Parts: sequence; C-alpha cells; structure tokens
Amino acid sequence: MTKVTLTVNGEARSASVPPEMTLLRLLREEFNLTGSKLGCDVGDCGACTVLVDGKAVNSCLMLAGQADGRDVVTIEGLATMERLHPIQKAFEEKGSLQCGFCGPGVIMSAKALLDENPDPSEEEIRDALAGNLCRCTGYTKMIEAIQAAARVEDARPTAKSA
Amino acid sequence: MDKKSAVVETGTATERARSVEEMLRAPAAAPLAPLPLEVLVPEAKQQTPAVRQRVTRPDGRLHGLGQTKYIDDFYMPGMLYAKVKRAGIASARIISIDTKEAEAMPGVVAVITGRDVPCNSFGPSLKDQPVLADTRVFYSGDGVAAVAAVTEQIATEALEKIKVEYEPLTPVLDPLLSLQLETPGVHAPNPNVYWHKVIKKGDVERGFAESYRVFEGTFRTQMVEHVPLEPHSSLATWDANGRVTIYSTLGRITLGRADLSRTLGIPMSRIRIIATVVGGNFGGKNEITTEPIVALLAKKTGRPVKCTFTRPEEFTSSTTRHPLIMEYKTGVSKQGKLLARQIRLVLDGGAYCSWSETTLGKACILSAGPYEIENLHAEAFVVYTNKTMTGAMRGFGAPQVCFAYESHMDDIAKALGIDPLEIRLMNTLKEGSLSPTSQVLHSVVVADTLKQAAERFGWNGNGSKS
Amino acid sequence: MKRRGRGIACMWYPIGFTVAANPSAAVVKVNEDGTATLLTGTVETGQGSLTVLAQIVAEELGIATDSVHVVSADTDTTPLDTGAIASRTTYVTGNAARLAAAKAKEILFEVAAPLLGVKPHQLEARDYKIQVRGFPQRNIHIGDVADRARGVNGQPALGSASFNPATVALDPETGQGVPFATYVYATQIAEVDVDDETGEVEVLRIVASHDCGTPINPMLVEGQVEGGISMGVGFALQEEMLFDSQGRLINPNLTNYIMPTSLDMPKVEVDIVDSYDPTGPFGAKGVGEPTCVATAAAIMNAIHDAVGVRITSLPATAEKVHAALKAKRAQETRQLTA
Repeated sequence: MTKVTLTVNGEARSASVPPEMTLLRLLREEFNLTGSKLGCDVGDCGACTVLVDGKAVNSCLMLAGQADGRDVVTIEGLATMERLHPIQKAFEEKGSLQCGFCGPGVIMSAKALLDENPDPSEEEIRDALAGNLCRCTGYTKMIEAIQAAARVEDARPTAKSA
Repeated sequence: MDKKSAVVETGTATERARSVEEMLRAPAAAPLAPLPLEVLVPEAKQQTPAVRQRVTRPDGRLHGLGQTKYIDDFYMPGMLYAKVKRAGIASARIISIDTKEAEAMPGVVAVITGRDVPCNSFGPSLKDQPVLADTRVFYSGDGVAAVAAVTEQIATEALEKIKVEYEPLTPVLDPLLSLQLETPGVHAPNPNVYWHKVIKKGDVERGFAESYRVFEGTFRTQMVEHVPLEPHSSLATWDANGRVTIYSTLGRITLGRADLSRTLGIPMSRIRIIATVVGGNFGGKNEITTEPIVALLAKKTGRPVKCTFTRPEEFTSSTTRHPLIMEYKTGVSKQGKLLARQIRLVLDGGAYCSWSETTLGKACILSAGPYEIENLHAEAFVVYTNKTMTGAMRGFGAPQVCFAYESHMDDIAKALGIDPLEIRLMNTLKEGSLSPTSQVLHSVVVADTLKQAAERFGWNGNGSKS
Repeated sequence: MKRRGRGIACMWYPIGFTVAANPSAAVVKVNEDGTATLLTGTVETGQGSLTVLAQIVAEELGIATDSVHVVSADTDTTPLDTGAIASRTTYVTGNAARLAAAKAKEILFEVAAPLLGVKPHQLEARDYKIQVRGFPQRNIHIGDVADRARGVNGQPALGSASFNPATVALDPETGQGVPFATYVYATQIAEVDVDDETGEVEVLRIVASHDCGTPINPMLVEGQVEGGISMGVGFALQEEMLFDSQGRLINPNLTNYIMPTSLDMPKVEVDIVDSYDPTGPFGAKGVGEPTCVATAAAIMNAIHDAVGVRITSLPATAEKVHAALKAKRAQETRQLTA
C-alpha cells in the first residue's frame, strides 16, 4: 500500500492506497468526490479531467502516487457557498450541458484555458476542448458559454482563478 | 477563543462552514458540497406563459457542479462489484464452463452462469436473447458468466480464471450471404431472414414504363455505436421480504420491469426499478443488459451488487446501428417529377432481434423519402449474422435511407440538369398528401424547411461555388 | 487543392412507435399554494424532457415553470411510461401530462366557479389566477382555490391521465395503414471543402431548418439539432465498427473508433420552422431523433458538388474519397484517349 498526501480543492487530504490505483479512483472512491467521471479509463474521452498544479490532466492516466504532494482541483472545488463559478453559471444559462456526464471534464478544461488565456479565440477554445468527447451537444453551446464566461472574468476587478 | 472559533464568528459563509466541519469531521467523511447561496431563478423560469420560453434546466445546474449522481456514483455499504466474461468467439457451442478456480479466488463472493437464470431469454419483440449464453454463443460479445467480488479489480481478474470449452462454428458475417443461406442458419432451425416487410402502392411497372428515364443506385452504410459517455450500469439490492430494487441506466423502466419479472421469475410487485439521469442513451439503453445479472448475484450473496460496463464492452456487447444495403430504382418525367420508385433494403440484424422489427418497419416506410410518389414498391428484409446485435439507435433506419434517397435525388437532378433545390420543391409532400402507406398527412412543412434553409444558407442559382 | 461544395438534404421522420400502442400516463398534483408536482414514468436521458414536461404542465395551469416540480423514473411511485424512445416524449408523455393537468384544473374550476358567480366552463387559469374569461379582474389566486379545494370542498386538485397515439394497423400484404400519428420534417444544407489530393473532407458550415411543431423550449431544440448534427458528421465521415474475419471487433475503444471532437464540428445555424400540430400538446411534435437524419446525405451531396464523385457507402473516409477521385481521373483519361 502507498500513502499519498495531496491538496484537493484547497484542503490537505491523505489516503493509503494500492500502488496501481489511479488519481481518478482515489478521488472517486477514497475521497467520495464523484464529480470526475470514468468514461473509458484509458485517457481517450476526458470525462476524468482535473487540474493538477494548474494543468488539465486525464486523472485516469495518473497514478495516485504521482499526485503525492501536488495541488489538485476538481469540479467540486469551483463553486463556493456564495456563488457559482462564472463558467458554471454560463453553462447553465446557455444550456450547454445535456446528459451532463462529460460536463465536469469540459468545465475543468475550460477553466485551465481561461486561467492561462483570459481572452481566447474560438479556435483556441475548440483546441482546449479537443480532448473532451461529448456525444449529446455537438460542443456548440459549450463554446458560446466559455466565450461568455471569458467576458465576465475579464470584467471582474480582481483576477482570482477560483 | 481559539483560531477556529474566531473564524466561526467572523469568516465568510464558506470559511465558517469549513471551520465547523473541521472541528466535527471524522477522517473519512466526504467534503462539504457547495450550495451556492445565490439561488438563481432565471427570468424565463418565472414567466407565464411557459411554452416557447428558453427555460434553463434544473438538472443543468447540478451537472455543472458535478453533483448529479449517475448509477456508477452510487455506493452502498457492503456493495460488491460485478463483471461479465465475454465469449470472444463469434459462433460456438458451449461444451463446459468451469468456475471453480474463480470461485476459490480470495475476494470473489459468487459466480453465476446461464444455468442460474430462471428464464434465460428476453427481447423487445422476439425473445431470442439470453441473459447469459448457456448452450450457444452467437456473437463475440455474448456474456457467458458473471462474477461478484469485493473490488472491481478482483472481479476483472477472476474472469480470466473461468474456463470455457467451446466447439467453434463457422460464423456468418455477410448479410447478403446470410440472406441466401437456407441451412444451416445462424439461429437454426429458425430461418436467417427473421422479419420481412412490404409496402405496395399503385403500379411500379406501369410507372417505369411511363417514365422519361429510369435511374438506379445502390448504397451501403456501416455499423456504428451510440457511444454514450456514461457506460451502462446497474445496481441491485434485495430486502428481507424478497423485493428487489434495481438502479439502472435503462431508458425505459416499464419494459425493464417486465423483462426482469420474466427472467427472474418473480411478480412485478416485487420489483422496483429506479433510473436517475442517464448519461446519454441514443437508443442503446432501451433494453436490459446487466440488470438480471446483478439481481441474481445480489440474491446469491445477500449484498448489493453493482455492474458497470467497461468502455470496450460498450462496443463489444451493447446494441449498435443496423448496417443497410439499399437498392433504389426511380422513374422520372422529363420535368423531374418522380413517377415510380422501387426499393429493396437488406438490414444486417446481428446476433439477436433486439429492436430490428421496429427498425425494419420504419426504414421501409420512410425509404421513399418525403416525396409524393404514386407508384411505390418497397421491400425490406432483416437477417441474422454472428456480429454485435443491432438494435435501436437514434433514427431507427432513417439516417441510412435518407443518405440513399437524397444521394439518389441529387444524381437524378444532375443527370436532368435541374437544380437540387428545385427538383425537391417539385416533389415534396404537401398538406393533405398521401404517404407511402396512404395516410393523409397533416402539418406537413418539408417545403417550408427547404426554403428556410436555402434562404439562410444563401443557396441561389445552380450550384455555383462561393 | 481544396474544392468547395454544397449539398442539400431533406427528410421526414415519425413520432412514436410503429402502429403498436405506446402509452404514457401522468399524474399532476396541485399543491395548496398553487405550485404543482408532476409524476411521470419517463426517464431523463439528457435531452431535457423533464424541463419540457414541466413547461407543458405550467402552461396548462397558468403558472411559471419554476413552480412545477417533476418526479420521474421510479416504477414504485411514477405511472407507466413506454419510455424515452422514438422521439415520443414531448408528444405522448407531453399530451398525458397536459391532460392530467387539465383534470386537476377542472377541480379548481369547480371550486372557484360558485365563488366568482359563474359556471366552470367560463373560467381560465392564467398568471397564478383562476379568472373569468374576458373579465380577468374577477379572479382568485390559484393557491387560495387549491387550498379551498382541500380544506373546504374536501377534494384535492389531483388529475391523472394517459395518452396513446392514434394509429391503424398496416395491411400485411400492402403495408397500407396509419403507422404513426404525426411526422416531422427537416432540411440540412452542408458546405464542405474537399482536398482533391488527399480526399480529406472538412465540413465548414451546416444550416438546419427543423420542424418540431410548437417549440416548447427553443433552447433545448437547438441543443438537439446541434447534437444530432455531430452524430451525423461522425456517421458521414468517421465512425465505423470494424470486424476481423472471425467476427471479433478490431476497434472496441475510443482511440480507434473515431467520433467528432470539438475540432470536427462545423459552424451550425439552426432555424425552427413555423409549424403547429393540433394533435400535440400546445401544437408540439418532437425532435430527438430527426436531428441526425439528414446530415450525412447533405455532406455526401456537398462532396459530389465539390469534386464530382458520388460516394455510395459510408463512412466517406479520406481513403474512400481519394480512391474515388483517382478512379474518376482514370476514367476521364480513358475517355479522352478513346
């Protein structure tokens, strides 16, 4: 068994897990953070996307042990008790999600993009989402929502990333 | 006053909640789920009248927060994980199944085979599909045994330890070959053609005789899969009164309950099926897959059992779209009016019937296209092959026949020198037109859609390239 | 060199099961404050059906969508529904929900009528009020009526109903009959670029005009069209399950089963055509499946317009288009030298 300690959504968490356990299963099964989804388990679909040290990664391709000491942000870490994250609010208003299963992964990829590039072009948005498969929506309303969220973030005086 | 209490007195709502939680939390407890206090009730949801409003979906907010619980997100104390062993051979007789080694594995709690299923056949029309194959395998993704274990990993490893002895048979893979074969059929003694439909209207031979020109074309489509992002999943739990509750990704729970009543041999009042939001269906989650399996394993072990398909299983062992071979023959007047149409459709019906009857019926009825054609003969066959069972998929044959009849229409337009938009407007169904089955149609707007799309696109003139 | 082409395709598609009965039942409970609950056996599979059903019930009761709570998908507590299949939910379950709401409303009218000095058929439900048609100033808040129904009349405002589309069995010899109660129609026009050296097809733009009767929620209809088009693009150009000579799948994974990503989706423009079906709830029909029907045909016709080759089998991969282009050039050379 491997002991891992990492920061998840701003809090220190630790667990003792089999060495072959992935970060995705660590989040879902040990920490009960079921927002990140298992769509293929081999890094093809992006439903498991989380941020590790600010970068969007497929958590099914990372071992729990590799996340030791790192800073992980999942979908559960975006909203606060006070408000939805601007991306979540835009997705809701534009009707960007249908079945919702790919949603957390797409939103995390969008957040990684906007954190780095606050005013992306449509091409750059499509590129950022290229690793997130969606079967329901055709991506169209997701791109509209990310553009809307980018405008909101731009307008805010303090550029906080969460 | 210590630091934590200070935060409780003075911090933001989030800081206060976290502080209190830290003071109280046991190590393994789940973290706080944010409930944004800005309860947005968007204007559209508050407006009357309600029809034609761009109302936002309540489940949309939960999806964005990651709070929607899909079946695989459920956990129950004592829950076991199940996996199904797939045949890996397209056509075979099963000689023996040896599960002893798998049963003896540490962490494995139960193993079942087809013999453990009280009534091992089901299906939306023909009941030709087993829950678990017990004497014959009809396609490579057929399930032959299932394991319940304390972790998913152990269940998957246990599948390797199940030894199945097969007598391989020659698989039939080509639907046109299957159409010609008399014996041995895929499901012998039943014939390979397992459903057939004819639509006849007017007199096609006379129509062709009166035509200025007759055009022919043959079109084929491939097998595709629904690829819902959420894999099939089900979870069963029994209570002490012999009542089973099954959480499932099924898109139709009424049929599901009937199928479970049949396969488990228990009355409907003892079965409860609950579906939550399904992560994509598109027709692939319209019949039972692992539901009877988890029910039987849960009964055998006395514990809740969950089974989730792997992504490969989504391809190998869930229904797909029927490949079609479509032959079209159309007679037209010099002006481009469709006078007669003859169609033959052959559907690759896979290993089991599933939703083939519905698909065949729709494909046949829709195959003439949204056009007024007085003389029509459409005939459709569906045949068994030893490939993945073909079932319900968004459109039930319509995308396939539309590809055929619209490609065919453009070929006719080109040959006669008529603009593709014009030839369609000349022939479309109108309010009160008779359909291929002589139904009087109402609310017919196909010409309106042609004009509206053409205007927005900027389709003016004769195929000029922008 | 890239060559541009455009292709048009129109289609028709039915709502509900082919001839066979496919009923839906629904129960509507008006709460004592005028908000409501809908019980339905249907399953939300991502298309937004529960939101649409809430809108239908809200419209019938004259309240806002936010005041309707939907309970679904439990065989113990929700009434029978044939399921989320064959694009039937808005039409069949929607009709059942509307009829159930109408029955609950009837009870409210019977309670309110004597208080307003009129007969029940003179009343209407609008803006949270039960009011006299033509004289809206004579009204009572729906909550007060519902509470009175329970507490004075002793008859809670509850309605249950079922609906099944009207069909006629098909003649076994000629297939003649009425297989479906209603149909929807659509046209999609595709603009593509075809690389005449590699055979690669890029879909640039798709304009879609769809019929769904009255669009109960236009935002959700657009979502269905955009999603359907993405499935159509995959069907046209990329997706295929491949079997080996022994009947085993070669590509049972998302690495080798190619489907559209955000980079493959064209610019999509959606129009909902003006249409009304008197047999549907508030004139609505349905939209779930029709959206992916015409796309492949439009793209194939656009390829034909761009480079003059007719692809007769799907998917139109680059290899297939390239091979067709090569064959066409060879044939043209033969014709020249003949």
